[in-house]
Amino acid sequence: MMPAGNLARMVMANTLRSRRHFVLSAFGIVIGIATFVVFLASTEQVGAVLEKIFPVEQVSVIAPRASLLGKDISKKLDDAIVEKIRSRPEVDRADPTAVVPRMSLAFPAFGRGDFEGNDLKFEVGGFADGINPDYVTDDDRTRELFKDWDAMANDPKRIACEPPARDPQEEVIQSPPAPKGKASRPGVYYNPCTQPERYYCDEVDRTCHHRVPIVMSPTMIELYNGQFAKSHGLPIADTDFVKFVTQRGGLSAMRFSVGLGLTTIAGTNANISQRKVRRVEAVLVGISDKAMPIGMTMPIGYIQRWNREFLGEDAATAYSSIIVRLKDRNRIAVFSQWLQDDLDLRLEDSLGEKFATALFVIRLVLVLISLVIITISSINIAHNFFMQVTERRRELGLLRAVGAAQTDVLMVVLGEAALIGLIGGLLGVVLGIALASGVDWGSAHYLPRFPYKPDSWFHFKWWIVLGGLACSTGFSVFGGYLPARRASTMEPAQALTQN
Amino acid sequence: MLEKGDVVAFARVSDISRSRPPAAPAPIVRLRDVTKSYGLGAAKTQVLRGVSFDIDGGEFVALVGQSGSGKSTLLNIIGGLDQPDAGEVEVLGTDTLRSSDARRAGIRNASIGFVFQAFNLLDHLTVLGNVILPASFAPGAKQVESRGREALRRVGLSDLANRRPGELSGGQKQRVAIARALFNAPALLLCDEPTGNLDSETGKEVIDFFRELNAKEGVTLLIVTHERRVSSVAKRVIAMRDGMLVETTDEALAAAHGGPA
Repeated sequence: MMPAGNLARMVMANTLRSRRHFVLSAFGIVIGIATFVVFLASTEQVGAVLEKIFPVEQVSVIAPRASLLGKDISKKLDDAIVEKIRSRPEVDRADPTAVVPRMSLAFPAFGRGDFEGNDLKFEVGGFADGINPDYVTDDDRTRELFKDWDAMANDPKRIACEPPARDPQEEVIQSPPAPKGKASRPGVYYNPCTQPERYYCDEVDRTCHHRVPIVMSPTMIELYNGQFAKSHGLPIADTDFVKFVTQRGGLSAMRFSVGLGLTTIAGTNANISQRKVRRVEAVLVGISDKAMPIGMTMPIGYIQRWNREFLGEDAATAYSSIIVRLKDRNRIAVFSQWLQDDLDLRLEDSLGEKFATALFVIRLVLVLISLVIITISSINIAHNFFMQVTERRRELGLLRAVGAAQTDVLMVVLGEAALIGLIGGLLGVVLGIALASGVDWGSAHYLPRFPYKPDSWFHFKWWIVLGGLACSTGFSVFGGYLPARRASTMEPAQALTQN
Repeated sequence: MLEKGDVVAFARVSDISRSRPPAAPAPIVRLRDVTKSYGLGAAKTQVLRGVSFDIDGGEFVALVGQSGSGKSTLLNIIGGLDQPDAGEVEVLGTDTLRSSDARRAGIRNASIGFVFQAFNLLDHLTVLGNVILPASFAPGAKQVESRGREALRRVGLSDLANRRPGELSGGQKQRVAIARALFNAPALLLCDEPTGNLDSETGKEVIDFFRELNAKEGVTLLIVTHERRVSSVAKRVIAMRDGMLVETTDEALAAAHGGPA
């Protein structure tokens, strides 16, 4: 067999000496591979965005809603249910974050904060819940701040302080820190705690408490930017900027107060004793997809204590849902059946699963379309190579006369097909990336902003590029095989007499 | 019958063996009952009919005959470019009929050189590239370029190494083809009408080169030709007619050359 280096040189020289043949053969491959990588990259990116919106690696267990004469009689999700779920074979018992209960704030609350000079008031009751802080591990800063500070003993900053006077309107007020280098304004209450951006003076025990750490989901930011900010003339909150501010210690921009027992919906807190109504202060410490989609999430200890304080022990032990991460997502059906049969519980409707299935089908169809294009180009290559072999009969006969074996001729022709496939594939990938860039530019300049709009509609992972090149080379070799066989088996004597 | 008084000489076996003449070297080419036909059924044409002959090393043989006599087919079979239907073909000690394609290709690469009437140069390669083409299929080939330039020097074309075949005359092209055939210093040179496309002067140069090659270097030459000027230079002439060898009488030679002797 001819040496590999000689084979490579001959293949390179033969492939590049006829531009017409190269263009005719490679054109289909370029188009096919461009569509192949573009389709895969776009479905990959869309899938990633969908997984942000609907995390499909976890499911949410809820109790089916049941009511009697207006009273909620749904089954209670408690620690016993959590333990039963944790002991299931589908769940990794050793992972403390595999089963994470959530608890909603079960009574009215009202929030107030300053955002970019705007006095924002918003309902908190029904839009707040709590989870285990160990579950929120998005970054170091969030891990450092998202803790149940009130449960910690021996916080040296918990010093005695004088809280602000109650507002006769019972509106929640904020407690800004004293201005630095300037005289305090008379009649204005200033936060007396050290580190006022992190601590506030609690009006119940008159000591400085760490602000309640809050995380919000990216969905909240997207909704704010897409719907709320526009209609209210408020500035856009870029997710990265919010993260930057919360994590660089600029917590003062994200402080707000919460009036426990107060509400913007008149009359709905009639069952709350006015003696219990009180103010706490909170601070946004990070953005996390572990937060509830619409609302705010805090360490579950706060919710449990407040529910106990305002509604009793039952409310402090009832979870609103239980998030479960299964070892194998393919076991969802088995797990779901057990929930229904043994516990009378169910999984929350997972739009994520449905979207993932739809995306899978779409990806399959698109990939099949591009494979059809590549197959047609493979047939085109076969046709072109058959023509070439006929045109080059004398040349191939000469190679045999000077010592080329049949396998040598086969390898030369197959090598030319492979090289056309490889170069065509590279050009196809470049074309695909260029097309994708064009689409992204058009999207950035002409598509309006909407929740979760990605910066790019494509994600060209390394395996997509390699897969494209492998496909182009493989299909080209497939197309070139029969012509190569014909070239290698032609009688040299007859080939040399071709006119 | 021995009688009393006759002198009888005895000798040891070893002495007897030393006294025998040495065995003749094996022929470079050995053909026995080689037949070849083309086509099928009613269109079947018998090209070779039981051809047998030997060519010894160092011979300069001309194979003559009219068009269609089977001489080019015979040349191709000897060179392994075609396969007979039956018979024995032994080239340089190898039974080519029973050898693999790779073995035959190896013999062509290392030990046989071809020169064709149509030159068969590759236009996309330079002159030097054409000459060293056999090296592409020779594992471990060394000093390729220097050997190629030496081959060009032998045929007087050292200055044209970087030209393309399209820039050469017919005679120059044929000399490049000869240089290519001599690149691997073959033991056997097979030439099919090498002067067929050349003018008389150039053709004479080529023939003189072949004669010198055979005389000085002992290269075995088999030249298919219908030209008298070529066959007259050969030391041995084999005539063919209708696929068979015929006696090389003057009449046969005249017929082979297409005219009176």
